Amino acid sequence: MAQSLWNFSRPCAIGLALLSSLAALSCGGGGNGGSSGSGGGPPPLAANEVAVIVDSGPDPATNATVNTLYTTVTVCVPGSTNQCQTIDHIQVDTQSNGLRILASVLTLSLPVTMASAGNSLVECAQFASGYSWGPVAMADMQVSGEKASSIPIQVIGSANFAAVPAACSAIGPAEDTVTAFGANGLLGIGVFAQDCGPGCPASSGFYYSCSQNSCVEIAPPTQVENPVPLFATDNNGSIIDLPSVVAPGAVTLSGSLIFGIDTQSNNASGAETVLTVDPGMGTFTTVFSGKSFGRSIIDSGSNGTFFDDSGSNTSIIRCSSTGTNSNSALFYCPNGTLNLSATLTGLNGVNFVENFSVDNAQTLFKNYSTFSVMPTLSGTYSASATTFDWGLPFFYGRRIATAIEGRTTSVATGPYMAF
Amino acid sequence: MSRVHDKFFAHYVGHNPLMAAMRPCAIGSQSMINRATTRTRAGRSSGPGIGLKTDVLMGLLLLAAALLPLKAHAGLGGPESTVADDVALLQGSIKSTPRTLYQVHDIQLPSGTVLREFATVGGNVFAVSWSGPSMPNLRQALGNYFAAFVAAAKTKHGDRNHLHIEQPGLVIQSSGHMRAFTGRAYLPDAIPAGVAVEELH
Repeated sequence: MAQSLWNFSRPCAIGLALLSSLAALSCGGGGNGGSSGSGGGPPPLAANEVAVIVDSGPDPATNATVNTLYTTVTVCVPGSTNQCQTIDHIQVDTQSNGLRILASVLTLSLPVTMASAGNSLVECAQFASGYSWGPVAMADMQVSGEKASSIPIQVIGSANFAAVPAACSAIGPAEDTVTAFGANGLLGIGVFAQDCGPGCPASSGFYYSCSQNSCVEIAPPTQVENPVPLFATDNNGSIIDLPSVVAPGAVTLSGSLIFGIDTQSNNASGAETVLTVDPGMGTFTTVFSGKSFGRSIIDSGSNGTFFDDSGSNTSIIRCSSTGTNSNSALFYCPNGTLNLSATLTGLNGVNFVENFSVDNAQTLFKNYSTFSVMPTLSGTYSASATTFDWGLPFFYGRRIATAIEGRTTSVATGPYMAF
Repeated sequence: MSRVHDKFFAHYVGHNPLMAAMRPCAIGSQSMINRATTRTRAGRSSGPGIGLKTDVLMGLLLLAAALLPLKAHAGLGGPESTVADDVALLQGSIKSTPRTLYQVHDIQLPSGTVLREFATVGGNVFAVSWSGPSMPNLRQALGNYFAAFVAAAKTKHGDRNHLHIEQPGLVIQSSGHMRAFTGRAYLPDAIPAGVAVEELH
């Protein structure tokens, strides 16, 4: 694949050498305060382990995030050991795939991937809340001691690709700034190897071939790829390990992200529950209040427990929308703490009963405004959708493994989630 | 600005096959316009070298737009007759099903996503919903309400995967993740009497 060097219009960074000291690369876990509420230093991290943190994000003054998990990654110009940059507040997401970095924080000149001779490959990353537009670029990536060389990543909001095709902006609002995105980047380490998926037809609207004059949708020659299966070792999945937190929550929470499953002494499978998931959508079934949600997910990128309660027996009260925040009706606002139960079932028929609580979101936001960790935050999902979305609160107090499609561990073959 | 272009292209693609054939697709044409627009605002600093050719095209397009009659807006809130415009613009296929008090128009999009429009017979589209692997063209599906959606979506405490916007006279929900999106939007005041919100999905 031919590539052109494209300067991301900022001076080249201070060259951070790719250090052989693993500790130096895994010390981050968020640039703004890396300590949890508990005292004492965290144990040293293994070579396949990186610190993660739940905090208020990279722009707490404008967009203080809640229940959002971040880590730190290093990216380098492919093949270079001194044109590198370490970036904190990269969100960790188990329901997307691939690395994305906001152009506004990137100081490197990365080569843009070509769709064909003379035409750049640019992605319209789709999210339910909007789109992120930017070119696909090649980078070496390192997180903890794991390295993926010359992988396609997305650079969101690049000034060199400022004109967004109408078909992309038709999705909704742009999420191409750190504030709008709520992170400096996104590390998608879900069960799939690619973000769009096999085939990825032009009609999906994900990828465009852009000349200097125009862009057309294409079936891409390459896609943004989940870096985990591209690691030399520890490449069959990952484990997010977070301590438990008592409601109403905490200011921050620190844990670790471990790469590989059954590849090292720190990532061995035990007697955990293994839920195999749909090979096309990564979903399983949840039954709640007599209703079956056949496209359920365990998603570190969702900041609460989300499900459509309408028509069920519980009829949880939604928050009222307010003038300044018409999206506040997204969350639930019961009069007191609700203690609920649901059953998760994998494609393999394995069941798991989860007891969880839902608190009044407006009370949480008002009374605990400094908290970025809120285990009982819960909200609606689009009506009639058959998704029960177990967001980051489900990860608190657990080690949750995400096994990549087609990759084998000692207990099963991916795609699966285990905890 | 882009709304006008959308309307224009609804005619362009739908009613002028010769012109449409000169483009890779409607989307490509739109992006070209957007690029030209950006350049006008931001000068030469934005985007790599957009040339004279685009400006000439832009002029031709504006001329053509001026010669075409304007139609009522399609999508949410638009007349039922505009559902056909949505089908043409989105290059979809349609299947319509009568219910007791309204019509359900399922537009199968090339992406695999289904956009459903609910309209009273001879009246207006009072709800839309969508489900599938890609986000649909909400600028088209939400019609006049798209701008309100974009403005309201800048939310506090929200994440990337969930939106639930409630304003007087407008509700928009959008949920999902790559490979599985779902959502709906409706006009509470326009729902026919006797129709429950729960059945609009």
